[in-house]
Amino acid sequence: MKRLLLAALLLSAPAIAGPSDDPSWPCIQRKQPHLSIGQLWPGPLPDDSAAELAQRSDIAALAQVLEQRRLSLPEAEAEIAAFAERASAEELTALFVAVFDRIDAYRSRIMSGVARYAEKQVTLSAQIEARRAELTRLSAAAEPDFDKLDAEEARLDWDVRIFTDRQSQLTYVCETPVILEQRAFALGRAIAAHLPATPIPAP
Amino acid sequence: MRLALLSFLLLAQPALANKVFVSNEKGNDITVLDSETLEVIATFPAGNRPRGITISPDGKELYVCASDDDTVRVFDTETYQETHTLPSGPDPELFVLHPSGNPLYIANEDDNLVTIVDVQTRRVLAEVPVGVEPEGMAISPDGAFVVNTSETTNMAHFIDTASSQIVANVLVDQRPRYAQFTADGKLLFVTAEIGGTVAVIDVATKEVVHKIGFQIPGVLPEAIQPVGLKITQDGSRVFVALGPANRVAVIDGTTFEVIDYLLVGQRVWQLAFTPDERLLFTTNGNSNDVSVIDVAAGKVIRSVPVGQQPWGIVVAPD
Repeated sequence: MKRLLLAALLLSAPAIAGPSDDPSWPCIQRKQPHLSIGQLWPGPLPDDSAAELAQRSDIAALAQVLEQRRLSLPEAEAEIAAFAERASAEELTALFVAVFDRIDAYRSRIMSGVARYAEKQVTLSAQIEARRAELTRLSAAAEPDFDKLDAEEARLDWDVRIFTDRQSQLTYVCETPVILEQRAFALGRAIAAHLPATPIPAP
Repeated sequence: MRLALLSFLLLAQPALANKVFVSNEKGNDITVLDSETLEVIATFPAGNRPRGITISPDGKELYVCASDDDTVRVFDTETYQETHTLPSGPDPELFVLHPSGNPLYIANEDDNLVTIVDVQTRRVLAEVPVGVEPEGMAISPDGAFVVNTSETTNMAHFIDTASSQIVANVLVDQRPRYAQFTADGKLLFVTAEIGGTVAVIDVATKEVVHKIGFQIPGVLPEAIQPVGLKITQDGSRVFVALGPANRVAVIDGTTFEVIDYLLVGQRVWQLAFTPDERLLFTTNGNSNDVSVIDVAAGKVIRSVPVGQQPWGIVVAPD
């Protein structure tokens, strides 16, 4: 009885807004459309002057190099260290802003891509269902048209194959925004390490 | 930097070094750090998806929730060998050990139960039905109550340890993840991951007396997800891991005001003090490291790379 009461109490509780609320977001990771600077940068929030300085050609060029994932982290740290030798705290902050803007914009494009990927999967899954229904209908006919059946079955096989292939790539697809966030954080930490009285030394 | 290092060296008294055990959810292993040198001294396998981790009061047995193995694995803290397993029910995620060292209270996320296991006889003593997706577990210092939080039901369930019955349910904000009592047993803190708050519950009246909110300049509100929480013995400071905000909030334990937000590593999840409360360790699931906070200075002094997706953390007692 007590158990029943508890169950009733529990069932009446409000449902939560989980990651599954957005049907176009297929990843287990919670959807976070944008990174924010405060997640990555220990210092005070960069102001407009930092954003302006971030446009300077040498800083923008270095940010473009650092953003490339083919540049290993130790290599990126070496580039940052070389820049830091003659850079002021303002210039270091501007470099971070430039890196952040680039990675965040790229990450947002990737995330819209993930959403389109999910939409295509939904469409494909509906198509598979329709083909299955059609197959059932065709094979239930009094005199089944076997040519038509074979053709429909082949189309179904292809659809299922594409669907499963894409589904198995989903883990990787979903990892990409996370990998970009990791890179933005690592670069932020490496740049901040050269600030005077830094709170977070690089590992 | 050199100054920080120097002051750190000076602070490092010739006290006993403690082993720090970190469960790596994706790496399927445990990283062992030395609390004085902050170096990795060992890594050993721990089954599939190790998450919740705790240690016996004598420091000899390490308990690990191997979530995907549906069991609790027990390791010798000297040899790092698995000595035996404990029945846990399916998908154990977090658990809490009675202050006396027995029994162990385990949250089973999949079947909405708290399983109570005798760590000596290795038998299930009782199963308590709780809310949907039980997660956080806490025990009052006197051992009278175990509290379980249920992620979907958004409640803290008070379980009487003598009768194994639920005696009170306290509604908190969305997706409560972690709970801890103050050392005097008067207050219970519960973090709500989606709600973005920490509820302070008066244990005597079982009512929420305060709700702590978080605002970090330059961080979007949805990135602020309170998870792990630790309170100093004297109750003066409360530390809250804010998940993907990559920050740990430092809270005044009397006024409940947030004093600072320390940038640690990515997806900061669980926290653990050294026994002397000089250092606080954080597990950072996405940057695969542990940050070390100097508690008195309120500063992050080091980050130590560990395994893949560090999740839980426990420091061996003195």
